[in-house]
Amino acid sequence: MAALLRPARWLLRAGAAAHLPLSLRLLAGGPSRPHAAFCPHAARAGRVAGELLSQARLYAIAAEKKNYLQEEATSSHRRNTSQFDWALMRLDNSVRRTGRIPKTLLQKVFDNTCHSGSQGGNQALLLLRSCGSLLPELKLSERTEFAHRIWDKLQKLGTVYDVSHYNALLKVYLQNEYKFSPTDFLEKMEKANIQPNRVTYQRLIAAYCNMGDIEGASKILGFMKTKDLPVTEAVFSALVTGHARAGDMENAENILTVMKEAGIEPGPDTYLALLNAYAEKGDIDHVKQTLEKVEKSDLYLMDRDILQIIFSFSKAGYPQYVSEILEKITYERRYIPDTMNLILLLVTEKLEDTALQILLACPISREDSLSDFGSFFLRHCVTMNTPAEKLKDYCKKLKEAQMHTSPFQFTLHCALLAKNMDLAKALMKALKEEGFPIRTHYFWPLLVGHQKEKNVQGIVEVLKEMHEIGVTPDQETYINYVFPCFDSVKSVRAILQENGCLHEDSIFSQAELRIEAVNGNLDYILSFLESNTLPFSFASLRGSLILGFRRSMNINLWSKITELLYKDGRYCQEPPGPTEAVGYFLYNLIDSMSDSEVQAKEERLRQYFHQLMEMNVKIPENIYRGIRNLLDSCHVPELIKDVNMLVEREKTDSRKTAQPTSSDLESKLEKLKTENQPIGDVLKQLILMLCSEENMHKALELKAKYESDMVIGGYASLINLCCRHDNAEEALNLKREFDRLDSSAVLDTSKYVRLVKVLGKHGKLQDAINILKEMKEKDVLIKDATVLSFFHILNGAALRGETETVKQLHEAIVTLGLAKPSTALSSPLVTLYLEKDDLPTALEVTIDCYKKYKILPRIHDVLCKLIEKGETDLIQKAMDFVSQEQGEMTMLYDLFFAFLQTGNYKEAKKIIETPGIRARPTRLQWFCDRCIASNQVETLEKLVELTQKLFECDRDQLYYSLLKLYKVNGDWQRADAVWNKMQEENIIPRGRTLRLLAEILRNSNQEVPFDVPELWYEDEKHSLTSSPSPVEVSLQKELLNACHRKKDKDAFNIFLKAKKQNVVFNSETYAGLINLLLTKDNPTQAVQVKDFAETHIKGFTLNDAANSRLIIAQVRRDYLKAVHLEVG
Amino acid sequence: MAASAARTAVALRTNIRRPVAFVRKIPWTAASIFSSYTGELREHFSQFGHVRKCTVPFDKETGFHRGMGWIQFSSEEELHNALQQENHVIDGVKLHVQVQKPKALQGDQTSDEERGF
Repeated sequence: MAALLRPARWLLRAGAAAHLPLSLRLLAGGPSRPHAAFCPHAARAGRVAGELLSQARLYAIAAEKKNYLQEEATSSHRRNTSQFDWALMRLDNSVRRTGRIPKTLLQKVFDNTCHSGSQGGNQALLLLRSCGSLLPELKLSERTEFAHRIWDKLQKLGTVYDVSHYNALLKVYLQNEYKFSPTDFLEKMEKANIQPNRVTYQRLIAAYCNMGDIEGASKILGFMKTKDLPVTEAVFSALVTGHARAGDMENAENILTVMKEAGIEPGPDTYLALLNAYAEKGDIDHVKQTLEKVEKSDLYLMDRDILQIIFSFSKAGYPQYVSEILEKITYERRYIPDTMNLILLLVTEKLEDTALQILLACPISREDSLSDFGSFFLRHCVTMNTPAEKLKDYCKKLKEAQMHTSPFQFTLHCALLAKNMDLAKALMKALKEEGFPIRTHYFWPLLVGHQKEKNVQGIVEVLKEMHEIGVTPDQETYINYVFPCFDSVKSVRAILQENGCLHEDSIFSQAELRIEAVNGNLDYILSFLESNTLPFSFASLRGSLILGFRRSMNINLWSKITELLYKDGRYCQEPPGPTEAVGYFLYNLIDSMSDSEVQAKEERLRQYFHQLMEMNVKIPENIYRGIRNLLDSCHVPELIKDVNMLVEREKTDSRKTAQPTSSDLESKLEKLKTENQPIGDVLKQLILMLCSEENMHKALELKAKYESDMVIGGYASLINLCCRHDNAEEALNLKREFDRLDSSAVLDTSKYVRLVKVLGKHGKLQDAINILKEMKEKDVLIKDATVLSFFHILNGAALRGETETVKQLHEAIVTLGLAKPSTALSSPLVTLYLEKDDLPTALEVTIDCYKKYKILPRIHDVLCKLIEKGETDLIQKAMDFVSQEQGEMTMLYDLFFAFLQTGNYKEAKKIIETPGIRARPTRLQWFCDRCIASNQVETLEKLVELTQKLFECDRDQLYYSLLKLYKVNGDWQRADAVWNKMQEENIIPRGRTLRLLAEILRNSNQEVPFDVPELWYEDEKHSLTSSPSPVEVSLQKELLNACHRKKDKDAFNIFLKAKKQNVVFNSETYAGLINLLLTKDNPTQAVQVKDFAETHIKGFTLNDAANSRLIIAQVRRDYLKAVHLEVG
Repeated sequence: MAASAARTAVALRTNIRRPVAFVRKIPWTAASIFSSYTGELREHFSQFGHVRKCTVPFDKETGFHRGMGWIQFSSEEELHNALQQENHVIDGVKLHVQVQKPKALQGDQTSDEERGF
């Protein structure tokens, strides 16, 4: 009889059921057994899920309660709690839906926890617990590695572990069948001064038993005995496994009797242990017998238990019994996640066939033919490198079973994501055999993989593969995925020809053409188009050509290319023909530009349109109308008449025979009139047509002639026409007539706005204001665009120097409440005087605006001008006002930006070095964006340079802006210099910065000298490299402990002590201390710690959360010392 | 300086309402028009009217599209037809089709930015 049974029996005689005082002496006599073959024991995977969550929830509640009790419950606590809730929710959802946690999700939650700046014990627990059977997609060893990584990192970050963490780690070991020494584990706990509890012992016993080490288990039982701990069913279940794995099935069975005698009824767990033991031996008969026994008793095995047995059979090499056990499964809906978990685990263990068997047995509703089941299985098979032949077979079976509608396509997707070329190849062939088309873009992910590594050979292979399977690369393939891999487009052709994979020369040439167009190489385009002999579609070139046009400023080339495309028989000759094609091209060209770009290029565009007219290029009327609308919305209606010249009139008329021409309508009108019939409709139609033809003269004539038959619509359109033609007098007359006709009629918002604009422009201020009043009275819809139009009206008037117009209209708009006063809307008030160089008044107006509306329009521009003119007194006045109203910091920034803008870098430097000044991210960003928008490279470079030592300045953000500007200019040399500067400054670039830098370099065909990160995680770069001395360790531990217990005074004293002894801790310790001090509202001390850390640890930075808290604390304390400034 | 003031008032283009359908859950196997072929999406939506524009942007970092795209019809009526149909299935996958909401008009953006805080 096994060693453990003896003491158990002995105990029974003693009559103690719950407490089993085992004697060590007795236990020591037990025979040691050879370790049984290592078999799986995937400790009740499903149940763990529930357990994890319910426990975690308890922790969440506990954490909340703690907060509630703490008087100084601060935002950081709340933040922690909400952070924890967030993590819990993500993990919880995942387990509920899929029975597992994907590795990436766990990694994300882990990284997030590390970033959050304070890692509570509950987060640590949650993370550790997730590293066991909830990760079926990871190999057992990888899961344990993950757990260890979490353990070490969090410990470093200052998490203090208690017994629950050690127990969680043990559970993970058990679930992952990790081989470890239980005694070492106990020792480790002892060193950490953590008292093991009953759960610890139970799990250590299970650990021994899993190895079939009864002797070891007995030793632990001994420990338990000395502590007077109760022995529970879990211990007995472990002993069942222990005996079985030691090869002693008889004693394994006997444990059940012993239990009963001890007064503990064997429950499902014990029976499951026994069932698994038999399954591991392949003993189907005993399994069946035991199952029957369970059925007869009032015990109940759940689906997840049965799944466990299936796993044991298949893992031990007895897949033949799986189907028999599968019959026992009831397939309750709530066990589907458990089933998924098992299927994945089987795939991980390379038991895919069994996995498929279980999958196919899943009773998934097949009513909705569009829902797929089994994707998770296929995906994981691809990850685990299941052979292609097998996968093809699985796909076929899933499809036959109507479980998955497109298993081949799905698996191919996975293979492409995994860049598994061979598998992808096999699957595409299979798809083709099944009669599905193989599409060009299927190959793109494969090309992307090679493109990133600049692997020319790989690209060539994929292209060959495409040819073999009968897919021709299209232009997009070349442009987006092949060319970027090569240094120059020219070398591509040679290399592809050399390798025999250039089969469709015309497609390649067109792709070449498009890339040259995108690069703005218009000379090349022109000469290609002139000499080209291939059939060619203009539409495919349109997008690239537009980009090219916008890059090149050579209007002659623009026109020549357009003319060629329009007139040459090789292009645009198919329906709908050249007029339409060129029309669309012009439309798209303008549409692709921003409003400011169109405004800036107004003259060039005009020149272009005129050249086109001289070349006799025509566009259809309907497209012209589209362009007209575009130009209108870009606020350059002045260009409309220039485009109008291109409209092809005769052809429109002849083609659209259904639509009568204006002369048709006119004669019809005459006819109706003579016949004394109503003419209203025809009249309106004719007026509208004349308006669209921009024929104001004729339209007005007509109106005068048939005034009595005019309707509202006709007037509205006429009013608009007159506004377009800048005819204020007539527009006003028409408006009056319009009102007379129907005083309640309302015009469109845009027409009102146009009226205001024209009336204002012609000095009819009162009329303009009346229109504004009417807008208010009639409650016309004011959109953002309307407000913008108001601005343009005011700004136009300001530029023309019309003081009264600007003032009165602005006043009316604001008082009527048509728009709220804003810096933009009120800026024309200042512009008036800036344009006249009347700086004192400009400043006065700005200040006046602040008094009235709490805004300071154009203060930056005013300051710039004041500086340029050296108006010391006025500058002083402006500064006094700003610092009084908005604080000194704001004033300093205003001045700093003004000096930068005007090139007074020395003065700017002085300002930004003012003691006490700190970074204001939004303002810095505002200036950066301004520099980028107006392409001021030097100014932005200076900004970045001068802010190098600015307190709390987000250097990475500034460099990011600089890179953005370099990208606009395609300046890779300077971008590359940024990379070096950042290293010099010891800045750790964010992922997006690196990605942007890489993009710039790649765009210029430069090598990228670093790994481009997918995502960037803060890692241990800051920690000290040399190993710390014992004094340091103990001090650091003391400090961490004090921090943990929230003893801020103690912690700070330890810090001072260490400082005296010249002991430097790692950055995490300082970060923790700073956090604590801030929580306790002690910013002065926090700054002290921060300063020390910064001077002693290279590159010490606080995380964002701590940083902002520091700022808040300091602002609250009015830390800012008054700064005296002299300017001049 | 005047130009800079004009620039600060970020000009915006009035969003001309176009009959556009926003399509999600496009299977990875389907794509929009390329130079080489018409694309499954355009083919499918052509049954409801004239498809003026069909865009399914690809992510050049991955070589896959992001599962969404836009179909511009010639008229509201055609768009309406497309929305009327309950199921849109391409390559055995059901698409989600809805009206493209007009972009939020971002008007007077600079009112607060000018002052930073």
